[in-house]
Amino acid sequence: MVNFTSDIVIGLEIHVELKTDSKLFCSCKRSGTEGEEPNTRTCQVCLGHPGSKPVLNKKAVEFAIKLALATDSKIAEELIFSRKSYFYPDMSKNYQITQYEVPLATDGKIKLESKKEIGLVRIHMEEDPAALVHPAGMKDSKYVLVDYNRSGDPLVEVVTKPDLTSPGEARDFMKQLITILEYLEIFDVDNCIIKADANISIKESSYTRAEIKNITGFKEIERALNYEVARQKKEVEEGKKIVQETRAWDSEKGITFSLRTKETEADYGYIVDPNLVKIDLTKEWINEIKKQMPELAHEKLAKFTKEHGIKEEMAKVISKDKALAEMFEAVSTAVNPELAAKWIRRELTRVLNYNKKKLKDTEIKESHMIELLKLIEEKKITETVAQRIIEKLVEKSFDIGRYVKEQGLETVSDQGEIEKLCKEAIKEAPQAVEEYKAGKEKALNFVVGIVMKKSRGKASPKEVNEILKKLIY
Amino acid sequence: MDINKIISETKKIDKEYHYFNTIDDSPKKEGNGNLNNVAVSVKDCICVKDMESRAGSKILSTYKPVFDATVIQRIRKEGAVIIGKTAQDAFGFGSFSTNVGKDMKIPLNPFDKERACGGSSGGAAGFTQKSTFKHIALGQSTGGSIVAPASFCGVVGLCPTYGRISRYGLMDYANSLDKIGPIAKTVEEVALMLEIIAGYDEKESTTLNEPVPKYTSYIKKDIKNLKIGIIKEAFGKGIEAELKEKVEEGIKMLEQQGAKIEDISLPLTKKYGVETYYLLAMCEASTNLAKFCGMRYGASEQIKGNFNEYFSNIRSDYFNDESKRRIIIGTFARMAGYRDAYYIKAAKVRAKIIDEYKKAFEKVDLLVSPTMPFVAPRFKEIEKLSPLQNYMADTLTVGPNLAGLPHISVPIGTNKDKMPIGLMLTADHLKEETLIQASSKLEK
Repeated sequence: MVNFTSDIVIGLEIHVELKTDSKLFCSCKRSGTEGEEPNTRTCQVCLGHPGSKPVLNKKAVEFAIKLALATDSKIAEELIFSRKSYFYPDMSKNYQITQYEVPLATDGKIKLESKKEIGLVRIHMEEDPAALVHPAGMKDSKYVLVDYNRSGDPLVEVVTKPDLTSPGEARDFMKQLITILEYLEIFDVDNCIIKADANISIKESSYTRAEIKNITGFKEIERALNYEVARQKKEVEEGKKIVQETRAWDSEKGITFSLRTKETEADYGYIVDPNLVKIDLTKEWINEIKKQMPELAHEKLAKFTKEHGIKEEMAKVISKDKALAEMFEAVSTAVNPELAAKWIRRELTRVLNYNKKKLKDTEIKESHMIELLKLIEEKKITETVAQRIIEKLVEKSFDIGRYVKEQGLETVSDQGEIEKLCKEAIKEAPQAVEEYKAGKEKALNFVVGIVMKKSRGKASPKEVNEILKKLIY
Repeated sequence: MDINKIISETKKIDKEYHYFNTIDDSPKKEGNGNLNNVAVSVKDCICVKDMESRAGSKILSTYKPVFDATVIQRIRKEGAVIIGKTAQDAFGFGSFSTNVGKDMKIPLNPFDKERACGGSSGGAAGFTQKSTFKHIALGQSTGGSIVAPASFCGVVGLCPTYGRISRYGLMDYANSLDKIGPIAKTVEEVALMLEIIAGYDEKESTTLNEPVPKYTSYIKKDIKNLKIGIIKEAFGKGIEAELKEKVEEGIKMLEQQGAKIEDISLPLTKKYGVETYYLLAMCEASTNLAKFCGMRYGASEQIKGNFNEYFSNIRSDYFNDESKRRIIIGTFARMAGYRDAYYIKAAKVRAKIIDEYKKAFEKVDLLVSPTMPFVAPRFKEIEKLSPLQNYMADTLTVGPNLAGLPHISVPIGTNKDKMPIGLMLTADHLKEETLIQASSKLEK
């Protein structure tokens, strides 16, 4: 028995679907097309027909090994699969091929944003069961339909130590894990499943734990755990006894509810799967995979702050997204790294978020950003113009230089021209000018705005400001 | 003989002896090669596309596989004519082919209809003896199911090294022990079939990626200086005297042709073989049979109650007693609390048994023993046997099966009741050619 001291103790078991082309033990495609018919992406192996035999997908093993390496886990010498037996309609063989005594990897760790290390008990591989469809909802359906399209998809299960001490930490853990998975390119956040079972207990109940099953998404984890902490505290306050139980998370209602209370260790009667041979995880193979390992987010973060001299807050945001990080690395070779960081962190992400897009969904290339930022560096366009160009770039790619020329967007550097516009503006906004004279500094912004509008953003706001001040006094 | 004649002849024999679960009315020859127009019967547990294949069980009735087993693909290419699926103990659970699926017929011994064919490839061996045309059977062995019926029916049966022949398309009994192998009237036919079906298969992870020798070239090859060890434990108590004599005569024949004979002792195999075999086989079988639940294929019924009740009802109604016995014992032996004492320990003993054999093969090329301790028993004798006595019939055959070693049974004569007696030779891993070489020297 572990002696816990924190107010809340949380451990997670996370299932991640790996982004392979085919399933774990047959050549059926892992990912279907949108709106595919149920039970069409199947074969005798993933349907568990008599006589069929599994053949291991080596790519999935490589993906799982990458995760083990990225989390500093200890990798086993052999890959051994076992049969976990239980009867359920979503199980094509009524046993699941998984790993038992010797998992792929043990003793890993993942760092939270706060730098706190969360230990990993194990990482193992297994096949996904089929999907159950309840036509009238889970509670009211008289029957279920089974869709085996998902049956046999490759999963890794990541089991943490009970090192997490708040729902927020659990959420951050999921975020860190997803960042690692995306960096390794073994997971596709848009079409791979990631779900967690969470064990949670509080000090007040002497750490009697509840297990919450099947929570999808990192925000949901935090919500479900927050609810559960509050529920457990309330029960204790009301003098009720917390029982060890398995609960489900109802995302719509925002509550957890009890599934079963009598928790005896389920007996799965594990045996080694004799249809599969033990696979040597040789040093040569692992080294080969090590060579393919990309620089990870935390390594990039360190590099950005130390070598590129970028502020930590900015470097964090950029390094979390592999595409942005790679964009930054390329752009900062051509322009000032600080300028590059600022524009990627602020403007590019702002426009992407606004359009609900990811960098990969757009045609924006490093060359675009370099050209744009060079124009800013050389003061050929103003930041306002540059912002507008990024907004357009998100929609489609075009020649920035030609566009600036054609649209006449070069910065107005003719002092006489700007003075003329300033004089017009002063006339048009007498009230603001008076207020400014009376000491209200902010009133001048209104006048600057008019000048900017007149110049179609081509004038430098700083310059306009100075000229206006000169003219008013 | 033309195909129609073959089929009508097959039906005639089957009507009298119950060797088939399915006979193809109009089989087609597809490929062209070394099995041109050879009739091949296939044990029911090997998948033949679109032909009802149910491993001798009732729960798989109506099931037609959606693919051909690898061995079937290979023999089709060579021009074989697949005539049907042969009778067996359901899922291979038996030594006499008396544990057939519910409502199915028990195959009768070709020499005496009061007696059993042996099991579990009983239909295959019986029909091989009775066929009046060129025919080779595909059998399957987990603990002796090829050599036992071959011995009882007076034909040749070869069980290969584990991994020598692809199991892809073989309905699983105990995956770490299952092997497909040929049964025929002559060693030469067995060698020919082995040559065709052996070899690596990318669809089956446990197949060995080793070259396949030209087995037929070893027929009647000189056995001078071949060292043969007599398994001491196989000639002791419980072996019929007349049977012992015949096997000893066989050994003399080998010696006269130049083989060097010596005694070899396999005490561990004798002492723990049967127990180890049945534990492991039942553990694996109990997981393999879980998929049969009346849901995706095979037998099904009107759904009543929840899925647990439905699965239980189907499994209660359709499995025969021996299947239930093996599921229950196998499940028990791998449950937490018993797993270490039974399943894990059996796996360790198996490793020691393999070791014992490997040491023996440092001294000799072949091991010799009777195949079975007795000739084909009468059905009324079998009825009196307890399950344990039943299992003890496999005393001599479980050893090579546990160790994954190739072995062959050849007819060596008959007893006073004219019932055939089989002599078994066992070779080291991947030494099938030595089996063929020596056993062909015993044929008349």
